[in-house]
Amino acid sequence: MNKIQEEAWIVEHETLARHTYRLTLQSPEIAARARAGQFVMLRVRDGLDPLLRRPFSFHKIIPEQGVIEILYRIAGRGTGKLSQTPVGTPLDLIGPLGNAFEQPPPNSALVVLVAGGIGIAPFFALLKNLSASLSNTPLHLFYGARTGSELLPPQMFDDLKVTVHWSTDDGTLGYCGRITDLFQEFMESGLPRPEMVYSCGPLAMQYHVARWALNQGVAAQLSLESLMACGVGACLGCALPAIRPDDPTADHYLHVCKDGPIFSPGSIQWQKIQMYRTPPRTFLYS
Amino acid sequence: MAKDSNVPDSPPDLSVQLGPLRLKNPVMVASGTFGYGEEYAGFADPEKLGAIVVKGISLHPRAGNPPPRLVETPAGLINAIGLENVGLQNFISRKLPYLRDKKVPVIVNIFGNVLEEYADLASRLDEVPGIAALEINISCPNVKQGGMVFGTEPAMAASVVKAVRDSTTLPLITKLTPNVSRIGEIAKAVEEAGTDIISCINTVAAMAVDIFSRRPKLANIVGGLSGPAIKPIALRCTYEVVQQVKCPVIGIGGIMDALDAMEFFLVGAKAVQVGTANFVRPTATLDIIGGIERFLQVEGLSRLEDYIGTLDTRCVFPFAEEACELTDLG
Repeated sequence: MNKIQEEAWIVEHETLARHTYRLTLQSPEIAARARAGQFVMLRVRDGLDPLLRRPFSFHKIIPEQGVIEILYRIAGRGTGKLSQTPVGTPLDLIGPLGNAFEQPPPNSALVVLVAGGIGIAPFFALLKNLSASLSNTPLHLFYGARTGSELLPPQMFDDLKVTVHWSTDDGTLGYCGRITDLFQEFMESGLPRPEMVYSCGPLAMQYHVARWALNQGVAAQLSLESLMACGVGACLGCALPAIRPDDPTADHYLHVCKDGPIFSPGSIQWQKIQMYRTPPRTFLYS
Repeated sequence: MAKDSNVPDSPPDLSVQLGPLRLKNPVMVASGTFGYGEEYAGFADPEKLGAIVVKGISLHPRAGNPPPRLVETPAGLINAIGLENVGLQNFISRKLPYLRDKKVPVIVNIFGNVLEEYADLASRLDEVPGIAALEINISCPNVKQGGMVFGTEPAMAASVVKAVRDSTTLPLITKLTPNVSRIGEIAKAVEEAGTDIISCINTVAAMAVDIFSRRPKLANIVGGLSGPAIKPIALRCTYEVVQQVKCPVIGIGGIMDALDAMEFFLVGAKAVQVGTANFVRPTATLDIIGGIERFLQVEGLSRLEDYIGTLDTRCVFPFAEEACELTDLG
């Protein structure tokens, strides 16, 4: 369905983990149109700073209540100011934008999700769909963060029919190390071949999932991000280096907002990605 | 709605005459900020706009610059897209038909690596129905060849305009860069070379760096700044150009609302283009058109053209002459 602009009211706004917030918005028109994997462009506040909207994936979509939820982590001026916005404030949204997660084949032997940090956000909406459509398929979620205080509380996963494998870089919770290492160890321990891998998180993590999926010949859907100005394909700012099917060596770009945010690992030219951005220095904004 | 007693009953006339181009209102979307129109379908009805300026078109498709291509700065946006576009052929066959069906003048922004490409583009677009005018881009800061190189030297700028002028009968707009010492000289040169209209400004050359990773924030290292941050620069450039030329001038740069637009009309712009504001509010242009109408009503003006270029630069102290005598006495 078509994208629209809607004034959405903040119904709830709470902290779930360190620097991590859940925003519940009354947004009936967008809730009715949204699909898991898509995103909204949210104007943090009126005025000139921050100037641009910010993209956020749908954390939960509850059309029967006219509600959407957004899960975000403070990463800069925009999210810093958003975190101070009280319940009852109207926010200007454009959405739903971009493509959605595709369902795995029915009766899949195994479906795996890999999430790093705030990359967990879109997986709640996805897991709701998966647990409804795949009654016999085991769902495994590999979920890691830098430290335990950045992970969502475990009880949030209770209602979802998913087995969660936890990791932290510093070992404060679950497996000590990167989530992709835990994921690979599990895959090598005799689990059936997954029919589909979903991945969302930092670029380095996405790269490791993509490499694994391409080597194993497993289908994967990666939710990727980029700095974005318009969200609708006009500014062409959110480009990612991509492989042009008719000429794999040519300079070619896909755009996160209209070609994504969900991409297959084989469509991206990983070696051309330039990681110029420093990971967020949250202390500057909180 | 309550009205002031001196407000005229009929809506004010927003139409403007830009040389050979007549527009029903003076508000256009700037090149590169509205795609080819389809991207904003459903948000802003293009038929309500004065004109649409499409993303810059080159002879052949261009992939654009590597990312990151964007960085947000206070009240601004630096971009280094690098003129990614579908190329002339795809534009004509795949993008133009959508716009041709709309009742809105379509202005095609053209860009070449070398002089001959500008001429070639112009002559090929000359035969295509449904185009109201061409906007010559000699001001893009984000490409290595062509672009701004042509726009920073009067003789070079004139040679591009002349080459295009000789290749088409379409109305010509020439878009100037602010990244020069004397924009008025460039303006005079392109007017003499035959441009019908001048638009200014393109983005202001700019840069942003990350102090932690010690890297530039744009892969292209430098880019072009747009948004409210550049409005005062754009206003000064528009004012200077208006002083130097007889042809109509389109003001561009940081316009977010109708009051911003009125500033450009006051210094003499006959029309405006709205760019970055489209990203923030897809309906920005429609709000601006409505806001101009209300402004004129409140000011008791029936025609926008009566307001254009009415900037009063005289001393405003009412007793100025008398005070001069005091000075003499002192």
